[in-house]
Amino acid sequence: MSIYENAVRKPVTVILIFIGVVILGLFSLRYLPIDLYPEIDPPIVSIFTFYEGASAADIETNVTRILEDNLNTVSNLKELTSISKDNTSLVMLEFEWGTNLDEATNDIRDAIGRIESYLPEGVEKPIIFKFSTSMIPIMLLSATADESYPALSKILDEGIVNPLNRIEGVGAVSLSGGPEREIQVIVDPRKLEAYNISVEQIGAVIGQENLNLPAGDLDIGSYTIPIRIEGEFKVSKEIEHLVVGTFNGSPVKIADVATVKDTIAEMTIDERSNGRVGARIVIQKQSGANSVAIAREVKEKLPELMRQLPPDIKIDTIFDTSEFIENSINSLATTVLYAGIFVVLVVLFFLGRWRATFIIILTIPVSLIVSFIYLFVSGNTLNIISLSSLSIAIGMVVDDAIVVLENITRHIEKGSSPREAAIYGTNEVGLAVVATTLTVVAVFFPLTLIQGLSGIMFRQLGMIVTLVVIVSTLAALTLTPMLSSHMLRLMPPRKPGLSKAIFGTIEKWLEKLDRFYERLLKWAVHHKAFVMVGSAIIFIASISLVSVVGTEFIPPADNAHIEATVELPMNLRLEKTQELARQIEQIWQENYPEIEVISTSAGVADESNIFSAFGENGSHIINFNIRLSNSTERDRDIYLIGDLMRKDLSKIPIIKDFSVWPGGRGEMGSGAGNVEVIISGYDLDVTGALSEKIAERMENIEGLRDIDISREESKAAYQLVLDREKLGLHGLTTSAVASAVRNRINGLVATQYREGGDEYNVRVRFDEPFRKSVETIENIRVFNQRGEAVTIGELGHVEEYNAPPSIERRNRQRVITVTGSLYKASISDVVNQIKAAVDDIGIPQGVGVDIGGTAEDQQESFADLGLLLILIILLVYIVMASQFESLRSPFIIMFTLPFAFTGVFLALYITGTTLNLISLIGAVMLVGIVVKNGIVLVDYINLLRDRGLDLNEAVISGGKSRLRPVLMTTLTTILGMLPLAIGIGEGAEIWQPMGVAIIGGLTFSTLLTLVLMPVVYTMLGANRFKREQKRIAKLDKEIEA
Amino acid sequence: MKTVFIVYNQALTERVEHILDKLNIRGYSRWPQVQGRGSINGEPHQGTHTWPALNEAVLTVVEDAKVEELMTLLRRLNDKAEMQGLRAFIWDAEIGI
Repeated sequence: MSIYENAVRKPVTVILIFIGVVILGLFSLRYLPIDLYPEIDPPIVSIFTFYEGASAADIETNVTRILEDNLNTVSNLKELTSISKDNTSLVMLEFEWGTNLDEATNDIRDAIGRIESYLPEGVEKPIIFKFSTSMIPIMLLSATADESYPALSKILDEGIVNPLNRIEGVGAVSLSGGPEREIQVIVDPRKLEAYNISVEQIGAVIGQENLNLPAGDLDIGSYTIPIRIEGEFKVSKEIEHLVVGTFNGSPVKIADVATVKDTIAEMTIDERSNGRVGARIVIQKQSGANSVAIAREVKEKLPELMRQLPPDIKIDTIFDTSEFIENSINSLATTVLYAGIFVVLVVLFFLGRWRATFIIILTIPVSLIVSFIYLFVSGNTLNIISLSSLSIAIGMVVDDAIVVLENITRHIEKGSSPREAAIYGTNEVGLAVVATTLTVVAVFFPLTLIQGLSGIMFRQLGMIVTLVVIVSTLAALTLTPMLSSHMLRLMPPRKPGLSKAIFGTIEKWLEKLDRFYERLLKWAVHHKAFVMVGSAIIFIASISLVSVVGTEFIPPADNAHIEATVELPMNLRLEKTQELARQIEQIWQENYPEIEVISTSAGVADESNIFSAFGENGSHIINFNIRLSNSTERDRDIYLIGDLMRKDLSKIPIIKDFSVWPGGRGEMGSGAGNVEVIISGYDLDVTGALSEKIAERMENIEGLRDIDISREESKAAYQLVLDREKLGLHGLTTSAVASAVRNRINGLVATQYREGGDEYNVRVRFDEPFRKSVETIENIRVFNQRGEAVTIGELGHVEEYNAPPSIERRNRQRVITVTGSLYKASISDVVNQIKAAVDDIGIPQGVGVDIGGTAEDQQESFADLGLLLILIILLVYIVMASQFESLRSPFIIMFTLPFAFTGVFLALYITGTTLNLISLIGAVMLVGIVVKNGIVLVDYINLLRDRGLDLNEAVISGGKSRLRPVLMTTLTTILGMLPLAIGIGEGAEIWQPMGVAIIGGLTFSTLLTLVLMPVVYTMLGANRFKREQKRIAKLDKEIEA
Repeated sequence: MKTVFIVYNQALTERVEHILDKLNIRGYSRWPQVQGRGSINGEPHQGTHTWPALNEAVLTVVEDAKVEELMTLLRRLNDKAEMQGLRAFIWDAEIGI
């Protein structure tokens, strides 16, 4: 017994199965985490190696190259890049998307294990570091304070960081830029000299005095009592009274040679929020946790936590990814809702029956909810991709139900009982319904096979639409006939009234349309040549539109977040940098009222920080993190504001270089794409000169911003050159001298002062005036074994030199990259201009130039999509050919395809949208959507021909009778896509090109093929008559005498 | 009016249909997949593993004038491939509704 027959006979089972599915779906929805994108972990593994004291060139030859040569054997490796800087080597391995990183990391560990012994002495163990999206902070808060500033770190640590860390799903809450308490023993070198005491002596005394030690147990009588020596400082003032030596018989106390300050550590970084001093609180989530829920809970907890803080501490949000996520998700949910309403209206408009409309509409929630079960089971999140997939699917899920219901209604009107009508009606169209679904599946399922970044983005889309459409077909084959058999009946003519007035008018109107189409078809089949040539001209003309429509990779979105970095001349003092930072903040706050929070950090976070190896840093760098009001509340988008900011920055003469990233750095889907010119060659001078020339040319290219050369400018440094002979004479070693200099300039951490469970450094160092010139270094006195003091000036001299720049390598070749971000320009134009510029400059011997960046990704993705398109067209043809059991019919239907692309280009051109990944995916989808109309039309014409109608007659009456179902399914798909194409709300604009492409392609191809396809049919279908004649002649032979 | 009962190997379906079309015989009832066995010779048509072939049966009521022509054509068809198996039987019919 067939599935629909069973369904009609067992209504209770069918209803309960679907209710069960809906309940499961709603249950899954409740537990689905919400996120912006599917989890995408970049397949990159980095290896840090520290080699104290080595220069960039040493690091390159002794560490980086050895590592690279061995890591190159790791499988699935796509690209190997490295940066060798002073003291550190950073090797980055980029893998193919979809590589199992755990396995890769194991391979890397093995490779490192093999070569560890070949690395020079003194190289620290290489650190393997995997980056994941959950490391991107979901919230960034800024804390500012006035009086409480010195204690800010401690207050925040206890009052905010720890409580927030306890929220479920929070991965890490960290504090940066807050002041750290430090006890400083500031020494006057002249007094030291007078008393003949060294910094090391002071340090040793402080370290030895600050001590608690259990000394054992005393047996007193019949008791055992422990004895302890308690020397730890109770208050920091105690340090002043320590005795460090004697002079002329009287004790010398620390207070005699130094001042003790309980203060905050010298800052190498200056954190400000809206110009006020403060710290930053970074909140990261655990992998797989729900960003939105975490952010909500953090926001709920904050006011409560803030009440317990001193009143002058203020906490602001710099950015909150959850806000953008929530807005995007909400706007997409509205989109789905609107799409649903449109679909209902279309169905009601054409059918004019409430019950029928209800039956069809019921398939929407049933099939959409299944996608939640899929997302939940596969461990995915509710994100932009999954929700927009629903939005895309919503117009398609009703198609099958429409076809089935229309046929059932026809049977009922002929006089069948609803029950039999449901069974036979479904039987008649069952195969066609399955075939149209298969064509859609043939398009969407291969989407799950795309490789690379776009593959990860579109896997969910492909799976969800495939699933939803299959379920909708199942519902159309079971739920729809079952409900029809119970709810539909032969309708008596409408009684006069409002409904008759409305639906009667619509009906008349539709009949007029039918007649108009009939006349049009009659005209068309008699003017075949005209129709064919006209269509060909339209198609060829549309091809020329391709050059007018710009191309880009992924359309940028406005997430109300701008990041900027300003680079000042090297070696600039932090105070100067701060001053300029304040100046820029002021300009921006005056010019852009849209800015809500400006958070600025100037200087180095922490030299020993693993992250500092990633980017540029130094006292001359200022980083801005700016949050603007919501995109719906302002007129200027982040790209325009970013551009204006660039103009502001270019007016300040001291600024050496700057970059502005609207949307933030490294955030996928937002932020503009970039172009990278990779110059490879061994000679650093040659490549350096070439990179500057290319950068200069790129500055002049319209549509490129933020031109940046990857190699840093060489940095001025002082070097102490010691004379070994003199060292030997005085009984000193380089290490003794070096540590002496370090202890005086950088300071000697003598001990940890404990208070309230926290430890603070006690640092002994020279007073500031004695750390300001080269002479002070030469005047430093070093003590030898015999206790004699020698000044460093006697041992060597201080030289100024330029530290070699960092050395960047890619695939084991030295490279320099010049990058520029794209602004309102198509990538292909820019790449061509750069190519022309490079040709013009001329490439020196032994140097290679490549263009990469987003351009590279784009070419890869576009090539993938091209292959995919061919694969999908083949698959769709196969599916249709097997359905019609004919090679000709699908060929006729395929005539729709070129005009779908014509429609896409036309729509993109009219709306000024670019040809990008998203609109291209839309075009690929069209292949499956557009042929549905053809299947409905050609199938019915074939049927009429089988029933013996003559060719032209079959084409005209077939076309006329299929006009309404074709218009109906097309309109539901188009209107379902409309909210997406208009792009209401935040985040939805990413999907606009897809909606535009599908609407344009579907509208145009439907209009044109309603005329063209019947004409093509009459041309190719004439053969059928000859074939039939042949068949009859053959049969005649069999019964001949 | 005569009733003609034609029973034949499934393989001949198309040809029998063609004969009916040729003689403008519109009305008929047909049983697809009928099991049968010839009285004298030939392989049984049972639809089993041993005898996989199957018959089809057509019952048509035609005017007396057409019977002769129908039988001629059917006989010719049978002569071309005798081992396929085709039999036709004629009896009188009265007009019902």
